[in-house]
Amino acid sequence: MDEETDFDVIIIGAGFAGASTAFQLLKEGIEGDRILVVDRGEPIGSKNLTGGILWGRELDDFEEFLGNWEMDCPGIERAINHKKVGFLSSEDALFVEGRFASWDGTGDTDEPSQRSSWSVLRAKADAWMAEKMEEAGIFVMPGMKIDQLHIEGLDHESYTARDLTDPAEDSGEGAAQKWKIDNFPKELVDKIRNGVIRGIVQDGEVMTSKVVVIAEGSNSILTRTYHFDSMLNAQSKEDLLLGVKEVIHLGKERIDERFNCFPGDDERPPSGMAMELALSLYRDMAHKAWKEYPVTDGLYPRCGGFFYTNRETVSCGIIVQLSSLPSGIHTYDLYQAFKEQPAIAALIEGGEAIEYGAHLCPEYGLHRMPHRFTRDGALVVGDAAGLVFANGMQIQGMNNALHSGKLAGKAIAACISNGDVSAKALDDTYTKSLKASYIYRDLKRFEPATKFLNNPANFTWVPELVGKTANRVFREIGEEKVPAEKVLRQVRKEMRAESKANKKGMGLFSMLKLALTGRKL
Amino acid sequence: MTETTKLGLFTYDVKNGLGLIGYNVDEHEHAHIIVDTKKCGDCDSMMCVWGCPAQCYMFRDVGLEEMKFQYEDCVECGTCFLMCTDGALSWNHPRGGFGITYSQG
Repeated sequence: MDEETDFDVIIIGAGFAGASTAFQLLKEGIEGDRILVVDRGEPIGSKNLTGGILWGRELDDFEEFLGNWEMDCPGIERAINHKKVGFLSSEDALFVEGRFASWDGTGDTDEPSQRSSWSVLRAKADAWMAEKMEEAGIFVMPGMKIDQLHIEGLDHESYTARDLTDPAEDSGEGAAQKWKIDNFPKELVDKIRNGVIRGIVQDGEVMTSKVVVIAEGSNSILTRTYHFDSMLNAQSKEDLLLGVKEVIHLGKERIDERFNCFPGDDERPPSGMAMELALSLYRDMAHKAWKEYPVTDGLYPRCGGFFYTNRETVSCGIIVQLSSLPSGIHTYDLYQAFKEQPAIAALIEGGEAIEYGAHLCPEYGLHRMPHRFTRDGALVVGDAAGLVFANGMQIQGMNNALHSGKLAGKAIAACISNGDVSAKALDDTYTKSLKASYIYRDLKRFEPATKFLNNPANFTWVPELVGKTANRVFREIGEEKVPAEKVLRQVRKEMRAESKANKKGMGLFSMLKLALTGRKL
Repeated sequence: MTETTKLGLFTYDVKNGLGLIGYNVDEHEHAHIIVDTKKCGDCDSMMCVWGCPAQCYMFRDVGLEEMKFQYEDCVECGTCFLMCTDGALSWNHPRGGFGITYSQG
């Protein structure tokens, strides 16, 4: 590693994971002009989209670069002090709602540290972070897509980026899928997959570095083509979610009023609401689809909703498990059904959609992590590494991205100073600290939750049962009151009689199994 | 009226939605996704059609005999690549600076 490289570290992707790695490297004493951050978006942020909430105060650690990010960053929208979880069926809605004055700094405790979650708009936030990186002296290059890495001792012209992503002529279907590169000489393929990474290739030119950080976000092509995560291919839609959302403009005053938000002042950001919803809106759609397309008969879309208030707008969308999508239902029509549910329609009434978009989200859990986080001279962080946590009440990816970036920055600086950036050295530092961090501990503790979350019951009869029961319990019709438990039993009986699917799904044994897995949340 | 509209109980006006997004569309010769539509012929499930949030894929869902693909409206999510069971897709991101430009995100 004595030879001079163009940079110490090249980071691919200027999202939270990439930016965090870069800032941490600065903190560890790496010079800004030895760090290059490239991003395929121009401007930076223009490729990014979130359906989530930024949890935790990870950004505080970069105060020297970001200052008062909470107030100054345009994409950090509102401090969430109002959290809702809800069950929606086509007519009924039941919400569990928490409102915490301390979370927005309006309670007795006026400590900023109490604020721990924010609604975010990433196109704006990432652009701001990129500015801050440049101010700190880091090289940032927008509009640069990297699809080839520079491998020591390998002429990058001996294969093209398309060879990595194009199906081979003799490719089989399903698991037998093959790529063009698979038909290249074995020695070359092995170099691509296991050689020492020493930089990036851009427009035929090589830029070298001691370490390359892959921070491409979800749907990372490099993690696939360079075999960090060889499972990310056409067979791996399991554990991947698609978020579809609209950003709907309502105006600041209307949002403050409609959602009872603290409007913010010189020291405190405006407060906001975050809501995650279990949906059973798709029964009729699914039945029609099954009839029309028997090929996916019985496949029911496992789909949740989310709704967040931003400063001037709201983010309204759904998130669907790709493996659960039946033929006959477009993902955007799942969104429309959510948007038209009366409780949601009321919240966006009078608003105007200003942006539509969609993005993948890895919800891997421990059972489906990339098979390696490091290679000689490279490592992978954030969503690209599948570091997203989901337990049904929270989806956390952005804080994990920031945190993994910090761990990567520390590890890389240490490895560079020791003169050893081999896969093993990076593993002993980065992967080790990652596995000891809260990211992994959370993933481990909530691994059983995936079983609960994937249970079709949560997307079919559970929200309906909850909604119908609440409807009757809360209603006063001038008759003798019936205890809630009895109502619940009555509703269950009716629902079971109503549909064949419910007859099986709502049996006592199924319900017990659901409750037992749900306990692990 | 397309077949999907008849089937869907809730129909999102996706073209209107896509109209809200900024794009810097690259030339055809640089299309970032290439679909070998010959392989789509007997595909029953047409999962790309249903998964794609931008209606880039149109097939029997709208009464077409052959798969029709356009990359211009692509939001670069990667769903089609994961959904295709026939190995018909060559999937890449657009060249740097091209493709979708979210302004909110």
